[in-house]
Amino acid sequence: MRHFAHNIFRFFTFHFSLFTIAACLLASCVKEDYFDNSKQGNYEALWRIMNEHYCFFDYKKQELGVDWDEIHGRYAYKINEKMTNAQLFEVLTQMLSELQDGHVNLSAPFDFGRNWSFYEDHPENYNDSIAKLYLGHNYHIASGLKYIILDDNIGYVRCESFEEGVGDGNVSVMLQSMALCHGLIIDVRGNGGGQLDKARTLASHFTNERLHVGYISHKTGKGRNDFSSPKAEYLDPASDGIRWQKPVVVLTNRGVYSAANDFIKCMKLCPNVTIMGDRTGGGSGMPFNNELPNGWTIRYSAVVYYDKDMHHTEFGIEPDVSLSLSGADLAQKKDTYIEKAREYLSKSQ
Amino acid sequence: MAILLLLSLYAYSQDSQTSNLNLQLGGANPQISNLNKEVLHSSMIGVGSSNILDTYLSSYNYTGTDIRIQRETMRMTNLWGGRVSNQSLIDLNGDINKNHARNIDEYAGGIRYSQGWFYNFFNGNTVNPVERSASRFNVAAGLAASGYLGVVYIDRSGNNPAQAKADLMIDVSALATYDMVIAKHHYLWRYQVTFPLIGMAFSPNYGQSYYEAFVAKHYDHNVVFAYPGNMPSMRHKLTLDVPIKRYTLRVGYVAQFNQSMFNHLKYHSYSHDFMIGFNKYLYRR
Repeated sequence: MRHFAHNIFRFFTFHFSLFTIAACLLASCVKEDYFDNSKQGNYEALWRIMNEHYCFFDYKKQELGVDWDEIHGRYAYKINEKMTNAQLFEVLTQMLSELQDGHVNLSAPFDFGRNWSFYEDHPENYNDSIAKLYLGHNYHIASGLKYIILDDNIGYVRCESFEEGVGDGNVSVMLQSMALCHGLIIDVRGNGGGQLDKARTLASHFTNERLHVGYISHKTGKGRNDFSSPKAEYLDPASDGIRWQKPVVVLTNRGVYSAANDFIKCMKLCPNVTIMGDRTGGGSGMPFNNELPNGWTIRYSAVVYYDKDMHHTEFGIEPDVSLSLSGADLAQKKDTYIEKAREYLSKSQ
Repeated sequence: MAILLLLSLYAYSQDSQTSNLNLQLGGANPQISNLNKEVLHSSMIGVGSSNILDTYLSSYNYTGTDIRIQRETMRMTNLWGGRVSNQSLIDLNGDINKNHARNIDEYAGGIRYSQGWFYNFFNGNTVNPVERSASRFNVAAGLAASGYLGVVYIDRSGNNPAQAKADLMIDVSALATYDMVIAKHHYLWRYQVTFPLIGMAFSPNYGQSYYEAFVAKHYDHNVVFAYPGNMPSMRHKLTLDVPIKRYTLRVGYVAQFNQSMFNHLKYHSYSHDFMIGFNKYLYRR
C-alpha cells in the first residue's frame, strides 16, 4: 500500500511539475514597447506615451478643440531624420504646447520644453520688491512660511512654494505667534506648487469640520476614456496644534499652480476665508514622468483632481474678490492686493 | 490547472494516509531518521547582469549590474518515510541600472524568503547525495511558500519615481543532483528550477499615484491574484560543489526571470549571476 501511494505521488508530482514548466515556457515574455531611437521613433514614442497616459484629452478637446489624432498627422510630416536634436525638440515642444498644460514638459540636457501661457499671457499682479517691503527684515520663517505682524495688527504670511516640508508644528507655531491679530493674510501669489499633502496640511488649520473638497480619478488603462470611478476627497481639520478662527484673506494670481491651486480649492471652502486677487493658473492634474528612447524626459498630467462639484480646475479658480495691481499704488511702493486685504480684514473686525 | 492541482492534492492525501499507516505500524524507520539529521548550510554571493522593465516608471528597459546574496538551508525530514527534504532560502539582490540613453539611473533591490518541501524520488537524498544516496543521480520536486519585498527607484523627480514590489506565492520547484567522481573526488552538480504558481501580489493601478493608494487610501485593485498567466516567472540555479580538504566550495549560476502583467502594467526583472560561496554540513543531535 505504501509503495503504491508513493508511485501515485511520484506520478502526479512529476506531471504537475512538467505541466507548470510547459505553461510557463509557453507564456509570452513581458517585453518593452517598440524601441526606435530615430527622430521618427522618438516622435512616435512621445505621441504614444501621451496618448496612453495623458488624462485631459476629453477636457482639452471640449475647451480648446485639441484633437490628438489630428495632431499626430499634422506634426508627423515635420519630422525627418536629417533634422538636428534642437529642431526635433522644438517640433515636439510645439506639439505638446497644443495641450496648454503647465504640467506637460519635455526635458532635454539643453532645454526645458513648456507652455507657461497660464501665467505668461496674463498680468503678473505681483511685484516682488514691493511685497518684500511688507516683510521687512525681521520676519520669521517656519519651514518656508515667511511671516510677520503688520502695523495694523494683521498677520501677513508669504508662502512661495509647497516644496518644503511644512508640518502641523510649523503652522501652529506661526499661528500661535499671531493669535492676537485681527486677521490673517496668506499670500500665495506665484506659488507654483509642490507637495500636495503639504498644501493640505496648511489648509487643515482653517477648518473645524471635515470638508468635502473634491474628487480624484486616475487612468486604469491605455484607452483615452479608461478612468477609475471618481473618489471623494476630504480635508480633515488639523488634529495637532492650533486651528485659526478669525478672518483670513488668501491672495492669488495666475502664478498659483498645481498644489497651490489645490490649496485655493480647499481654502475657498473653509469658513472665514476670502480669496482675493486674480484667477489662479490651474494645473489640476498630478504629473507623472516617462522618457523617450533618446533619454529625454516627458512629464504629463496623469491623475485628475476635480472640485467638489466635479468641475475641472485645470484652467484655474476664480477668486471671491477680483483685484489687479494699481499703477498708482506701485508708484507709492504699495501692493494693492495687500492693502485691499488689510482694508477688508479691518472692516471684518 | 485547477484539475491538476486537485489531482496533486489527492496524491498528497494518498501519501499522507500511507504516512499515517506507517506511524500506526511504529513510525518511520529509525535508521532513516538518523540519516535525516544532517543539515546543509550554503552561503553564496554573486554578481551579474540585470535588465528591468517597469512601465509604471518608464516604457523602456534599464540594464546594468546585479549583486546577489543567497543563504540556503536544506535538511531531510522524517515526513513520508524520510523522503521529504526541507529548503529554506533567503535571496537578497540589488541592481544599479541605466536606461538606453545611459543618462538616467535606476536602483532596485529586494529580498525573497521561501520555505519549500521536496519529495525525493528513487530513494534519493538531495541534501547530501554524495554520502547518503545509493544513486549518483537524484531528483526531488515539491512546493514552496515564498514572499518577496522590493523596490525599483528611478533617479528623477515626479510623482512616480519608485515602485514597490511585493508578492506571496506558492511556487512549484524541482531539483536534480549528480555526483560526478573524478580521481576519487566527488564533484556534486545541482540544478534547481522554480516557477511561481499561485498567490497574491501588490500593484498600483495603471495610472494610480502612490499618494492615492497610501495617503488618500483610495485602493483600486492593488492586491491582485497572481498565476502563470499574469506572472510567468521562473528562477534557475545551477551549482557545482567542489571539495577542498575539510571544506566544500560552491560555485554556481543563478538566472531569474521575474515577470508580471498586472493592471496593464508590464514588469520584468531578468538577472544572470555568477555565484561563489561555501557549504557547511551540520549534524543535528
